[in-house]
Amino acid sequence: MKIKLVSIPVGDQEKALEFYTSKLNFIKKIDIPVGGGNRWLTLVSKEEQDGPQLLLEPAPKDFEPSKVYQKALFDAGLPYTQFDVEDVQSEYERLVKLGVEFSVKPIEMGTAKLAVFNDTCGNYIQIVEVL
Amino acid sequence: MSLYEKEILKIKEDIYSNQWQLDTVIGLRNYIDNNFNEKLNLNLFSRIRFVSKFHLLRLFKRYYGQTPNQYLIDKRIEKAKEYISAGVSISNACYDVGFESLSSFSTLFKKKTGYSPSEYQKSNFR
Repeated sequence: MKIKLVSIPVGDQEKALEFYTSKLNFIKKIDIPVGGGNRWLTLVSKEEQDGPQLLLEPAPKDFEPSKVYQKALFDAGLPYTQFDVEDVQSEYERLVKLGVEFSVKPIEMGTAKLAVFNDTCGNYIQIVEVL
Repeated sequence: MSLYEKEILKIKEDIYSNQWQLDTVIGLRNYIDNNFNEKLNLNLFSRIRFVSKFHLLRLFKRYYGQTPNQYLIDKRIEKAKEYISAGVSISNACYDVGFESLSSFSTLFKKKTGYSPSEYQKSNFR
């Protein structure tokens, strides 16, 4: 078995595509219509285009329990997932300039530095730099 | 303050309050990052950080979840991938990242990436 895909629930796939490509600089990899206005929509990192794909999963739009779960995580401020960056501080400053809102500003936690931002699609996302 | 922020601060206090230990393992990791192509071993690490080698091993594993040697191997393989992608020959990549034997390099490369070095080289020049 291999890890090729991880998914993240988003309320609106088009809005998520815009945020994840224009602000986070991910690249669209696969885009296939799957009915009901939903798409099999995956992204890859620009620096690792053969790496795992991120599926922008439309479950919260169609499946009530998914919406409830996503909202509960969001209300507690818990990140849905995390991405690695070279430098948390500079990425934080870059994203703030683009209007991204952070719930946790850069903070050192032992051997890591992290920060948490709102992806505007119903999730908090953590960025991490290993020190 | 969100539940998550409270948790972060609690973990920081409970788990990561020993700054000396943190400085020691972060320093060792930086040393490995900057000298991965040299001949490295636990005795050397122990001398550099002024810590007994078994204590250092335990500390590194506790904070990074890997032994220094496991981390070093991952670093070397990652660098070898970079070099091979940039057009460096397989044997040069092997020695440039600090391996001493081509056969152990090939075995480890295949184990870690799923490809032999030559398969990886071909897939990158397709």
